[in-house]
Amino acid sequence: MTSVAHELVEAAVDRLPVDALTPARKVALAQFATSGFPTVKDEDWKYTNLSAAIEVSNACLANALEFKSKASWTAEAKRAIDDVLENLDANWIIIANGVTALETLANAESLEVEGIHISRLSSGGAGSEIISDDPLTSFNAALLQDGLQVRIRPSAYESKPLGFLFFDNVQNGGLSQARIIVDVEAEANIDIIEAHVSIGSEPQFANTVVQLNVEERGRVAYVRLQDRAINHIQVGKLIVELHKDAEFDFASFDFGGSLVRNDVAINIARAGATAKLHGLYLAGDKQHIDNHTRVDHRVGPAVSREEYRGILSGRARCVFNGKAIVHDGADGTDAEQSNHNLLLSETAEIDTKPELEIYADDVKCAHGATVGQLDKSALFYLRTRGLGEDEAAQLLTRAFAARILTASPIESTHAYIGAKTDQRLDELITGVAP
Amino acid sequence: MLEIKNLNATVGDAAILNGLSLSVNAGEVHAIMGPNGSGKSTLAQVIAGHDDYIVTDGSVRYDGEDLLVLAPEERAREGVFLGFQYPVEIPGVNNAYLLKAAINAKRRHQGEGEVDAFEFLQLAREKMKNLDMDPAFLNRGVNEGFSGGEKKRNEILQMVMLEPRLAILDETDSGLDIDALKAVAKGVNAMRSPDRAIILVTHYQRLLDYVEPDFVHVLSEGQIIRSGDKTLALQLEEKGYDWVREAASA
Repeated sequence: MTSVAHELVEAAVDRLPVDALTPARKVALAQFATSGFPTVKDEDWKYTNLSAAIEVSNACLANALEFKSKASWTAEAKRAIDDVLENLDANWIIIANGVTALETLANAESLEVEGIHISRLSSGGAGSEIISDDPLTSFNAALLQDGLQVRIRPSAYESKPLGFLFFDNVQNGGLSQARIIVDVEAEANIDIIEAHVSIGSEPQFANTVVQLNVEERGRVAYVRLQDRAINHIQVGKLIVELHKDAEFDFASFDFGGSLVRNDVAINIARAGATAKLHGLYLAGDKQHIDNHTRVDHRVGPAVSREEYRGILSGRARCVFNGKAIVHDGADGTDAEQSNHNLLLSETAEIDTKPELEIYADDVKCAHGATVGQLDKSALFYLRTRGLGEDEAAQLLTRAFAARILTASPIESTHAYIGAKTDQRLDELITGVAP
Repeated sequence: MLEIKNLNATVGDAAILNGLSLSVNAGEVHAIMGPNGSGKSTLAQVIAGHDDYIVTDGSVRYDGEDLLVLAPEERAREGVFLGFQYPVEIPGVNNAYLLKAAINAKRRHQGEGEVDAFEFLQLAREKMKNLDMDPAFLNRGVNEGFSGGEKKRNEILQMVMLEPRLAILDETDSGLDIDALKAVAKGVNAMRSPDRAIILVTHYQRLLDYVEPDFVHVLSEGQIIRSGDKTLALQLEEKGYDWVREAASA
């Protein structure tokens, strides 16, 4: 099946209540009707086949399941949620199966005092534009039951990180759409944690969109952590708009999921902005993790830095595509991107492509990619010191990942993400041991 | 302690060791000398367990047990240490972390608990002082950006921390300035003990001015062609390796 049956999507959109999102849903539905889902014939989707996601979507939409606004959490669900909540200190908002859990909004009032204002997109969301500029953001906007608009004021500078926990437990038939719009006011400063966790053995497809707008001299540290169930599909897009002298410091971590596609699109709209992107993906047997990033340098001077690293084992398949576009007139752009991969098995595969498109004259740009295996001489050296083969491999892979872990911009997340990394590496290594 | 009999080993298609025999007892220091390509490093690597080297004949027994059936890490935990000619740089793996992991691997093997963090640090600092090493090296990546001399001192540091029963030092003296050479020799001499054996693999006799061997062996084309006491090293220094080779073939 190459796409979702349109009449099913239309019927699902019609079942949603009439509210402030209705016009955006109609626009998005019309767009999606023409585009359908991307296929491997689309250059940006060459290596990532969404047919499994289409299957889940069709099954879910055909069942005409009702969207529930309150999830009843089983003990297993609670464990998965608490693992994040107890280990990462943040003001958490839980988005369960695409819908904001009402009880987590109970602290919205206290956040208001800290300079963080939260409203629902279904009730107008302070008039923010619902971006639907590609098939998946259109699919998301069309089927969006609700979402959040968050405004960060300068007085929020000393608040705890703001956490969005996207949790799915296949309660709504396995399809979820979530969207959050964050507006960071001029001079405001915020740490954001975006966490994705899911449970359940049935197929599941989550499609999330985060729009982030950073005004003049605003600063955002952003950590994205994805540890979904091993058979779940996750497609996410982070759309960032940077204004004058704005700073965006981002780190992305992928541990779970069967099919994962992350798009990060950064638009440097004004001079003086800085974007730093780091990513780490650890993929085991049959996992498919695709990271597409795009930085549009529309004006200069501005700086973008990007480094993604991946460790793959078994029949893992990963994709990296980092594109920096330096538009005509964006002189003084300074852009660097790199991608490094470690393959722990002969059957793992990485398709990597750092890309530069330069239409300005006075720019400084560099890019590079490497694919390698564990250094045999280093492995032997460690073994002659008494370390077992697995322990030596663990040490070397951890060292490879360390650059990203230490570069991650929210320090209070380091211990938890470091422990997750160790645990996942252990699984990858013992899984490939001869 | 170490009993090597008729050892034959190949790397790729090349036969490097051709019937080497050597007996080393506890408390002894042996120097193995020989020209480049004579098989010195191969011998060291075979004892440590590198899988690029294939043993085609002969035996290596350590305390009466077959050493060749053990994995490199098992040999290390049993007390065999190889000081590398070219210590490997491992960026991102902290020197102190490796030292501690190595000590703990051995302790676990011996049924002991993990080393106390405080005691470990104290011991490491003390040993580093003896080797004229800056304690800051503990927090750097293993051999990362170290000079040649620093790498060799780091090997000696690992040796003195791990307290092996059999230490093989592969050209630990090559490329060292006189201060580093003295520091390395001091570390080796401190290790001399009645229940420990040390094998120095070296090209030059220079190190032997500071570490006096009990036995000197000359290796040529994968065989020991002559053995003697420390005076043999001096003769080699004076007359070169050709002299022994000619004497051996005569």
